[in-house]
Amino acid sequence: MNLQPDSKILFQGITAELSATHGVQMKVYGTKVVAGVNPGLGGQTFDDIPVFDLVEQALAEVGAIDTTLIFVPAYQALDAALEAISAGIRQIIIVSSGMPPLDMVHLLRKAEATETIIVGPNSPGIIIPGKLLLGTHRSEFYIPGAVGIVSRSSTLTYEIALELTKAGLGQSMAVSIGGDAIAGSSFLQWLQMFDADDATKVIVLVGELGGNSEEAAAHYITETIKKPVIAYIAGRQAPAGRHWGHTGTLAAVVGRGVNVGTAQSKLAALKSAKIPIAEKPSQIPDLVKKALKKT
Amino acid sequence: MDLLEYQAKEWFRETGIPVLPSQRIDKIGDLKGLKIPYPVVIKSQVRKGGRGRAGGVRIVTNTIDAIAAAQTIFHLPILGEVPEVLLAEAKYNADREFYLAVVLDSATRRPVLLGSPQGGVDVESSEELLQQVVVEQEFSPFYARKLSVKMGLKGALIGSVSDVVEKMYQLFWQKDLDLVEINPLGVSATGELMALDGKVTVNSRAIARHADISLMAQKMANRANSQNYFDILGNADLVDRSGNIGILGNGAGLVMATLDLVTDGGGKVKTCLNIGHGSNLDPNKPSFSDRLEQGLELLVRDKNIQVVLVNILGSVLKGVKVAESISKFGEDRMPKTRNAAYPRLIVRFAGSELDSAQTQLASLAIPLIENLDEAVLQTIRQAKSSPAKKL
Repeated sequence: MNLQPDSKILFQGITAELSATHGVQMKVYGTKVVAGVNPGLGGQTFDDIPVFDLVEQALAEVGAIDTTLIFVPAYQALDAALEAISAGIRQIIIVSSGMPPLDMVHLLRKAEATETIIVGPNSPGIIIPGKLLLGTHRSEFYIPGAVGIVSRSSTLTYEIALELTKAGLGQSMAVSIGGDAIAGSSFLQWLQMFDADDATKVIVLVGELGGNSEEAAAHYITETIKKPVIAYIAGRQAPAGRHWGHTGTLAAVVGRGVNVGTAQSKLAALKSAKIPIAEKPSQIPDLVKKALKKT
Repeated sequence: MDLLEYQAKEWFRETGIPVLPSQRIDKIGDLKGLKIPYPVVIKSQVRKGGRGRAGGVRIVTNTIDAIAAAQTIFHLPILGEVPEVLLAEAKYNADREFYLAVVLDSATRRPVLLGSPQGGVDVESSEELLQQVVVEQEFSPFYARKLSVKMGLKGALIGSVSDVVEKMYQLFWQKDLDLVEINPLGVSATGELMALDGKVTVNSRAIARHADISLMAQKMANRANSQNYFDILGNADLVDRSGNIGILGNGAGLVMATLDLVTDGGGKVKTCLNIGHGSNLDPNKPSFSDRLEQGLELLVRDKNIQVVLVNILGSVLKGVKVAESISKFGEDRMPKTRNAAYPRLIVRFAGSELDSAQTQLASLAIPLIENLDEAVLQTIRQAKSSPAKKL
């Protein structure tokens, strides 16, 4: 994934309000939001960001785009992403929440065929503290450093970043892949990315109940990842069937055993992979310090 | 959203999946005008499984028996669920019973076709016979044929079963389903197929883009007049009926982590609400402040909740605005004098505007705590010291 600080960013679904909040936040952080797209608002300018009716019109004006951020209503997110792929954009972050999962199935088939990376849906995107803000992270919780955070939850990414920052432990990069049953980028892809990233010394993996991502990650860490990993799993005390909007907690997993998806199954998988587990977010800084000492 | 058997079968019929002649029975009198020849099977229409074993399915041979059976079934709860309607269906003599399903699998991120040559109630006990085919790319009938062959079918059955699977997939895709299941699929001695029972789960997020399903959902939930965000989305999630703590947060992960912390610390949580993230991408969704206010309203209205922990982190709304919303709510809704019957609010918030937010809430004596562990500790302490209230 190209995450250079000077990469060019498109803002799909831009409105005056969204630009004033997220657009301005990104620009203040130094991120190059070069154009916005919102059908019908073409020709306007929000906070110095020129707006176009079509993605291809934006590209004709500002040149190739490295990453597009999708902020459209949930039912329009598939179409917006397909428009971006069709225009040749290969990195897509979907901020929108509430996308029907079959729209994601449709999108992933196209994305895999065109080698397009999809982060999200329901993702606050990626932050490289001090360098790049691609999405809606509150940058004030982050400082530059050596800890990589990958999470299924945006608010827990903030919570853990805040704990680390307060303890003086900066972050190399933080990403939330989104809590939906069908998500684009996976834990495995991000673990691989952090393992190869020179700035990252320790990885914090933030999981929650549902699906098999944590079980798969535990296995992958044992097999492939060289850097130390620390894990935290939310939802141990949540009654079965509750999701609070993270449909991934209910995700069906076919043919991988009856217990896959429970917090217990995840904790057991992490334990057997000898990955230190934090009982609560405030324990993470200490576990990170211990891991840093060993490296 | 789970459909009832008769609703699933209506969709099967429209799609061309073979089903038996049947009639919906809303009241006992409907049995007098039955157009299906006896013997007839009277089936309780509930979403819970195991209704056959519970006595919710009966075979009858005449009107008198049918009325007696219907009267019993109308009053028979199945795992706590009493049917509102029954289904009267022709009886079918199956030679064999298969299991078929299409389900969305989060691990492969694709729909998966499932099939077993041994269907019926025992499908779970013969799991090794359950075959699966992942629909990697756009559906084409060969995926269904692969399943049929994996199930060990031969000759004409390969084509006929594949045809049913193809129609199930059509339904799955067109109606935005999480699951469509036929169990059992009856197979007669002559190889004729019949969907004898069906289960359909519609993905809840997709309901609003299907006019017909929205209508069903409205009728089902009887929420047509509701204007509350939480009622509509069903986000108002009960954790433990006997709890006395309410949690309100702005993200599912944060809500779950807070629930874990409170429970681990010995607190008993009754309800957790997620009011969602800050920005409004959907114009039909209430603003963050409105969601915050509705959420608080819902929690303080609950007479069993004695402490409400509000945990807001990283919302686009500046801290001052969050505090403003909470204090406005407090001023409007909180009793002027200390009232034991009114829940205590504890607010957890972090960010650059903490101080001004703190000032805002101080006048209402609502504590604002930046540290999560500390906020949880105070919540538990408050909940334990509050006197037990009458129900």
